[in-house]
Amino acid sequence: MEGTANTSAGESVIECQGLTKVFGNIEAVSGTDFSLRRGECFGLLGPNGAGKSTVIRIIYGATPRTGGSLRVLGYDPAIDARAIKKHLGVVTQNNALDEDMALRDNMLMYARCVGIARRDRAGRVDELLDSLSLAHRATARIRQLSGGMQRRVVFVRALLRRPRLLILDEPTTGLDPAVRLHLWERVRALKADGSSILLTTHYMDEAERLCDRIVIMDRGRIRAEGSPRALIERHCPGTIAVFPPDPGLRRRVAQVADATPEFTWFEDRAGVNVRGPDLRSVEEFLFKRGLVPLMLRPSNLEDVFLEITGRELGDDA
Amino acid sequence: MLETLQLAWRVTMRHWDVYRQNLIANMSPTISDPVFIILALGIGLGAYVSDMDGRTYLMYLAPGLAISTALWTAFFETSYGFFIRHTYEHVYEAMLTTPIGPHEIILGEFIWVALKGAGMSLVVTLVLLIFQVGAWPLAWVLPFVAAMVAISCGAIGFISSSFVRNINQFQTVYAFLINPLFFFSGIFFPLDQTPIAIRSICYISPLFHGVRIGQAALWNEDLVATLLHHGPLLVGLTAILVPAAWLRIHPKLYR
Ligand SMILES: Nc1ncnc2c1ncn2[C@@H]1O[C@H](COP(=O)(O)OP(=O)(O)O)[C@@H](O)[C@H]1O
Ligand SMILES: [Mg+2]
Repeated sequence: MEGTANTSAGESVIECQGLTKVFGNIEAVSGTDFSLRRGECFGLLGPNGAGKSTVIRIIYGATPRTGGSLRVLGYDPAIDARAIKKHLGVVTQNNALDEDMALRDNMLMYARCVGIARRDRAGRVDELLDSLSLAHRATARIRQLSGGMQRRVVFVRALLRRPRLLILDEPTTGLDPAVRLHLWERVRALKADGSSILLTTHYMDEAERLCDRIVIMDRGRIRAEGSPRALIERHCPGTIAVFPPDPGLRRRVAQVADATPEFTWFEDRAGVNVRGPDLRSVEEFLFKRGLVPLMLRPSNLEDVFLEITGRELGDDA
Repeated sequence: MLETLQLAWRVTMRHWDVYRQNLIANMSPTISDPVFIILALGIGLGAYVSDMDGRTYLMYLAPGLAISTALWTAFFETSYGFFIRHTYEHVYEAMLTTPIGPHEIILGEFIWVALKGAGMSLVVTLVLLIFQVGAWPLAWVLPFVAAMVAISCGAIGFISSSFVRNINQFQTVYAFLINPLFFFSGIFFPLDQTPIAIRSICYISPLFHGVRIGQAALWNEDLVATLLHHGPLLVGLTAILVPAAWLRIHPKLYR
């Protein structure tokens, strides 16, 4: 592969400061700072319309930024997008596949687009089709493939050039659990091989499992940053007791939780929830008052996410 | 610069890869439309039209329709085709993740349209020549003229793509711009007898100039004089339309 990107400036693969993007009168990204270190899996989380895909498109030079400074693999994407894209693989949010083409032909076409020499194309494509368990459908037209298979095809496309930076924009949205597991394994393997990864997802368990560090975005701004554990510790530590969505229960739970500083309550789809410092104290607190929850669980990244971005539906949801 | 061309060529090749999946089906209307118009009008209507500046009506129609394939193929590629690839199929979104950039996409589109226009008119011209409609010696000029017409008409398609808000609005462009362009470019009747207003408008139609050159070539008469007259106008119009299209469409791909 031609050229080696210069990442001498620290060990940051992506370094962005004060990144902004305005579309007409919508400020999609408003002053975002973050950096992605080499070999790291970095999660960009946020509700629909938070600006994740826009940040991603700016990173590989498919969208011009309005303001801020940005280095990707040592280059400025507004100037040297081509240099960046030689080392990049992107799983786009839309599959953007040529649905009427046969799978293998479509990948050969992209192998040409990314500049793999003619004699190496077939070998590389077949190797990837094999490793993503798609080889048996190589001659099928893309529209005949299931959603999970199409998503794997997009992975094949992203991996053609052995990317140093892999960008995954909602890679597993709408996929069944088996396919998700399969793709997680691939992502872990790529990371082990030294790729740096930028991931967006709406699945908090996915982020919790794959990401070393996370930022949570909302309406174009970063609201929180840290490792999944640190975010939980900082924003939403403790244990949560879940009650069924019953108005009478809700009143009682609210009453007792509001009266005690270290306990809080909130409502969501599942019902009424009480959060306290740890399992033991929550249990004691509730049982003493004759309140028996459906279950007790440790708080997780989803609680952090909802705490930060709010439980109401946003404009773009 | 070389790398830009190389990357643009990959866009062109992508379109060819997709196009040849259904080669016969895709080519059929582009080839059959002009051939059957030529046959139906030329033989049918031609029976009532005895003399078109000293040639049969069949012979009169032939070069213009061969060139007009470039208009149709180019306009459809850069209007409906571009819109579908851009909005529904997200083709460019995928391309932009590769080293290909927005300028290379536009360049690749123009190369594709030029080659497709040239190829289509070449096939139609060959069909005509085989049926002895037209003269061989200068017929090789037609694909080159068609490529130029395709580039300029492709630019018109791109410009319309940059204005429409949904795919249905292309119908208006088709009805009030492309259709008159087709019928008033000297394909069906000489423009000499038309009112001066119509003739002046024709002078800003790239198709008209392409048709005139094509006619001189296929009729095998005063090609040099025609080229000197209409060649610079065709090139000049293209040189205005292409940058205009570029400026309009680039922000669609990079915004
Ligand atoms: N090309 C565009 N033109 C205008 N607005 C856009 C464009 N792309 C994105 N937006 C707007 O920018 C905001 C962020 O969008 P996006 O980055 O796609 O969010 P996410 O990926 O987090 O769901 C949204 O309000 C969206 O409507
Ligand atoms: Mg998105």
